[in-house]
Formats: sequence, C-alpha cells, structure tokens
Amino acid sequence: MTFAVDAPTAAGIGAAAVAKTQAAHSPLIAVKDVVKIYPTVAGEAVLALDHVNLNIGEGEFVCLVGPSGCGKTTLLRLLAGLDTSDHGTSSLAGKALNGPSEEVGVVFQQANLLPWFTVMENVLLPLRVGGARKTEQLIGQIKALLKVAGLEGFENKYPYELSGGMQQRAAIVRALARDPKLLLMDEPFGALDALTRERMNAELQRIWMASGKTVVLITHSIDEAIFLGDRIIVMSPRPGRIVRELKVDLPRPRVATEMLGNETHTALAREIRMLLE
Amino acid sequence: MTDIRTQSNAMEMIALSSAAEKNRLRNVRFRNIGIGFAGFLTLILVWKLSVNLLSVPSYILPAPEQVVVALWSGIAVPVSSPLGWYLPLWSTMSNALAGFLIGALLGLFFGSLMAEFRAVETALMPYAFALQSLPKVAIAPLIVIWCGFGDGSKIAMAALLAFFPMMVNTFAGMRAAEVERIELMKVLSASRLETYRLVKLPSAAPYIFAGLDMGIVYALLGTIVAEFLGAQEGMGVAITKAQAVTDVAGVFAALVVLGITGILLHLIVRRVERSLIHWADRGKR
Repeated sequence: MTFAVDAPTAAGIGAAAVAKTQAAHSPLIAVKDVVKIYPTVAGEAVLALDHVNLNIGEGEFVCLVGPSGCGKTTLLRLLAGLDTSDHGTSSLAGKALNGPSEEVGVVFQQANLLPWFTVMENVLLPLRVGGARKTEQLIGQIKALLKVAGLEGFENKYPYELSGGMQQRAAIVRALARDPKLLLMDEPFGALDALTRERMNAELQRIWMASGKTVVLITHSIDEAIFLGDRIIVMSPRPGRIVRELKVDLPRPRVATEMLGNETHTALAREIRMLLE
Repeated sequence: MTDIRTQSNAMEMIALSSAAEKNRLRNVRFRNIGIGFAGFLTLILVWKLSVNLLSVPSYILPAPEQVVVALWSGIAVPVSSPLGWYLPLWSTMSNALAGFLIGALLGLFFGSLMAEFRAVETALMPYAFALQSLPKVAIAPLIVIWCGFGDGSKIAMAALLAFFPMMVNTFAGMRAAEVERIELMKVLSASRLETYRLVKLPSAAPYIFAGLDMGIVYALLGTIVAEFLGAQEGMGVAITKAQAVTDVAGVFAALVVLGITGILLHLIVRRVERSLIHWADRGKR
C-alpha cells in the first residue's frame, strides 16, 4: 500500500518549504537573528548559533536535525529559557522569551523523573511549584494524558519500577501538565532501543495529534524526523546555522511500516543525508 | 497438544529455577551466619587459650568467662540498681541522642547553607577544614570548663562530634544533585526553596544518611569522652570506676555493652534509611 501523495523531487520540496515558512502569518515562535557564543574552558569562544532565523506556526511539529555540536540543543535551551542569547530576539506568541515560561514544556534526553516521587507525583510536579495554578481541569487533563500514554494503573509506582519507554512517556505527560502552547524535546528517545523508539514515535504522534500542541523535537535519526515532522530544519555545525528547511508532505497518522519504500520518504531521507555529509 | 505440554514444561522450569535461586540465597545466608559464628568462636577460643597457656594475669587480660560474669552481674539486677548497666547506659544514651539530634540538625543547616550560597561556603570553609582536621576530643577539657561536669558538656561534646560528618555530607550530597534535575526545576520556574526541598535535599539523602550513620556513633564517642573527664554518671564513669580498682573484666564488660549499643544504633539508622530512601541506587535503572 502506498500513500496517495504526489512525490515531488527532493530539491522541489526544499524550495517549497522555505518559501512557505517565510510566508507563515503571525508565527507562534519567532527567532530572529539569534547569536549564541559559549566560552570554552580553554578560554576560546565558540560560536554556537550564528544569526539563526526561525518561525514556527501554531500546532506545527518541527524536527531539528544536524550533527553533534551544531547548536540544536543550544537553540532548544534558548527557547526553554535555560540560556539567553547574545544577540537577536526570540518570542513566543508575540511575547519575548527571556526566561522559563509557563507556556513551554520541556522533555529532556533522559526521562529525568524524580526517583523519590511516584509517577503521579512526578507528573503533578509542574502544578506544585513555581506558583503554578493547580486547577481541577488541569488535573483531569493530566489523568486523561496518563491514560493516552498507557500509564494507567502505574500512577503509584516509582520510576525505577517502570521501563525506559514508560519513564519517557511519563516525562512527556509531565511536560504537558501545565497545558503549554509549546513542547520542546531534546532527543527524547535517544536512550531507547530501536523497536521501543519506533513505538514511542507512534505514540508521540498520537499524543501530539490529540493535544494539538506545537512541538520542536531534536533528533539524530533521519527516519524519526521524517516520521514525526511537518517540517525538518537541517543545521550545520560550528557555527550553528540553518542550512535547509524541508516540508514533509506525508499524510497523518503516519505508520512506520508504510514508510519503508515510500517515495516521498526516500527522497527526503536522501536529501537530508546529503546535507549532513 | 504439544504446545500446551511445552508451555507447562516452561512454567515448571521457571518455578524450579526460581525455587533453586531462593534455595541458593538461603544457603548463602546460612553459610555467612555460620562463618560469622565460627569466627567468633575461634576468637574466644584463642583468647581463652592464650590467657591460660601464657598465664596472663587477669588484671591485664581477663578470661572470657570472667567478662561474661561481669557482664551478667550488671544485667541480673533491678533496673534501678546502681550496680547495673541500666542507669549508666540510660544516662549515656540520652545525652548522646540529645547531642546527636542537636549536632545533626546544625550540620544539616550549615551544610545546606554552604551548598546553597557560595558566599557562606567561602566564609565558612576554612574554619570547617581547620576544625575538621583538629582532633575534636582535644576540645573536651575546654567544653567541660564551659559547660561543667553535668549533662551539658556531654551533650555539647556529642553534638560537636556529630556535627561535622553531617555538615560535610549534607554539603557534598547537595552539590552532587544532578544538573538535569535542577534544570527541570528551573524550567518550571520553581523557587529556590522549592528546588531545595523537592530536589536537592532528596538528592542528598543517601549522603545525609551516611552522615547520620557516622554521627550517631561519634555522638556516643563524644559523650563517653566527656564522661571520662569527671562526670558523675554514665558508661564512661562505669569504665573509669572499674579501671580505678583494676577490674579489667568490668572494663571489658562495659565495652561489650557499648559495642552492642553502637551496633544497634547503626542498625536503626540503616533500617530507617532503607524504608525512607528505597529509591536510591535504583533511580537510574
């Protein structure tokens, strides 16, 4: 079975995507001319991000790919409010992003659950700290999310009693606890085995389609980027720059087995591969 | 049909192997207890033989049975008898525990403060190091001058000795808190106090318990040292009294009582630790 999609040439996709992004009206996230310089221990300065411009629309799923040290994580940390840029501005829904925001949820590389809390206590943590509002509605939403994430019945377990995949799903639920507009994910499935990872991708797609959040996901896996992304941003290392934006024209929900041999998929994968060499 | 048979075979094998594993663990435990017991018996035997064969006088090293007699003479008396272990042990224990509590809380407080504020660390670290390297029992005479021969100096001594392991371990434990967990709290705009209470303190818990474990034994040590310096009651006094009449068996018996007390305190701390921080060492699995 194949997708009922016309597969344009690889070059065509790239050009179309760039044109489309620039035209996006009032994006949820606007990153303008952002520069980030890191001092190293040796005393040199590393240009981690070199005049990066990026617009992300509401509800969009954007994947950042690029070799190690290309500034993907730096960009994500800026959006998470964990770092500040040395030049340029970034904004969320028109408001400048200068620090952590209630409207941003973050999923780390490791599940990063607090081992002394149960799953329920972990996913409720965002409502407990930082002066967050703790409404019945949000708690109800979290319970529903736990169900979607297949964690029902595990609420009172401790993280060490869960598999790696379950821990990471709990971390995703926690990131969504405050009902943020934006979900940032830094290689969330990198530590999982290939099969679990594939299943997690499908589940993330399901959670994303159900929640309608805007997602920015960093990944090393080209397949993961194509499977999940509406748009793929390819970055180059040192100085970190955006070299290409590619639109993924594949219908949803996407199914992993149908990706194999799909023409659009193959063309995109080949192009990204070539950009990364 | 063959399917069912292989399946039940597999189940049987699983049951058998888990039973075998249980058996093995039980055997290991029995063997360890056996080794411990054999070692203890050998020690007593060597002790007894060397006392007899080398005809060591009992004011140098009493025979094991003399120690047992001395121990028993302190046990087989009414609880309120001045000849029993009960009164001095109660005195020593209550002072040691009071001092331990004070010292541990102060250690927790200053350790947290130093870990949380660089300025406090810079200001206090030199003194902490200086005091740490000083043999603290050497301060005991000074403390007796300040606090007198009563319970005050014993509690102060116990607190002083319990303070340092607690302070150092709290400090080290809080500094060892994982960066990712602190960043999580930062992303959530958590306050400093929230991060301390919900992340740093639990992160430091295994270190803090190691500090408590050391602290409780040190508190006992501190109390006894203060008692040596001219107190009216306590195990330290019982030891010096026995020493005064070269009742070496009595000294040994007192040491046995203190040794067992120390082991019990240690076991209590371990027990509390295991039930409170059951998640430790398993968090990353």
